[in-house]
Amino acid sequence: MMDARFRYQDETRAGAMRGPAADDPLESTDPLRLAIGALADTPPEADLWPGIEARLRRPAGGARSITITLPQLALAATLLMAVSAGVSWLALRPAAPPAETPIRAVADPIEPARGDVARATFADAQYDAAVADLERILQEDGSRLDPQTVLVIERNLRAIDEAIRQSRAALDADPANTYLNSHLADARRRKIELLRRAAGLSSGGD
Amino acid sequence: MPVDDVVLAVNGDTAAFERVYHAHVPRVRGLARRMAGPEAADELTQDIFVRAWQKLGTFRGESAFATWLHRLAVNVIVERFRTLGTMRDRFLADGEPVLDVQPAPARSRPDLGMDLDAAIARLPEGSRTVFLLHDVEGYRHDEVAGLLGISVGTSKSQLHRARHTLRALLHARVNTCEGR
Repeated sequence: MMDARFRYQDETRAGAMRGPAADDPLESTDPLRLAIGALADTPPEADLWPGIEARLRRPAGGARSITITLPQLALAATLLMAVSAGVSWLALRPAAPPAETPIRAVADPIEPARGDVARATFADAQYDAAVADLERILQEDGSRLDPQTVLVIERNLRAIDEAIRQSRAALDADPANTYLNSHLADARRRKIELLRRAAGLSSGGD
Repeated sequence: MPVDDVVLAVNGDTAAFERVYHAHVPRVRGLARRMAGPEAADELTQDIFVRAWQKLGTFRGESAFATWLHRLAVNVIVERFRTLGTMRDRFLADGEPVLDVQPAPARSRPDLGMDLDAAIARLPEGSRTVFLLHDVEGYRHDEVAGLLGISVGTSKSQLHRARHTLRALLHARVNTCEGR
């Protein structure tokens, strides 16, 4: 028996809803209005249903993530490439630093650059505090870094910040999306790791 | 389309959802084609129906299903614009060139709907989107502005521009046909 919630008019007839909004109407004799009423829709040349059905049959998380986050997937790939390239460049480039400011590009990324930097748990408050601490260290000691190194770090930070911004924007529309949440957490973790490594380089610490 | 198919689809019946799809796909694809262009229409149409399936649980039957689906479709399309970063460029109201008014190629039989479709495709993107949302899909200016992140004044001016251009295109088309 039909659910009472679904007692509604069936408006699937082509053109049933078509027409200008009442706040800026067109005269009923306006040829433009007549033309709008004559707009016709045709089915796609190829049947799109098989592709849709395949996506419906994926596990809920998978289907949802593909639908909403293809751009984020592309961005994630770009981000990974950028960060990897930057870190690899830092690690592999010929070392010619001044003797008094050794650059330790392969410093342990999970160790804080300084003892007073809290380990991020990625809860907002701790995350923000950790980022602020690391950015403060970078600001204080960044002048010790090679300008090229600074450029690489800044470029990668911008890429990560963009990934975070896009993830947050997408989460505004779909807060429960597990992929987006994990993507955001991953981007934030990468930002912390990059800042930590950069702070380690700038302070000359381990 | 039987109302029962929506009820069945809400309860997870993909066969019923396929019938829903076939009943609505011409209109949904038409919307996607007009707003985003023919190249993106099929992919967007698929995205819209996948999203509809995911969101069916939020449909409460308080509006017509077609209305619900088309609102969702517009959201998916606008979201795509936003993701691609094209939104701002689309609505630089004062920066868009005014379209030269040339009649569409004449066909053997006048057809207002087809002529309008061809004319819509020739509009600048910002005007086209506002025209489609307001005059075809029935969104008020404040709704258009909210959806697109523009001011109500910009929505009105874009609509005015679109209507002016489309009337001129249609007029030129009719004259072309009558002169034959």
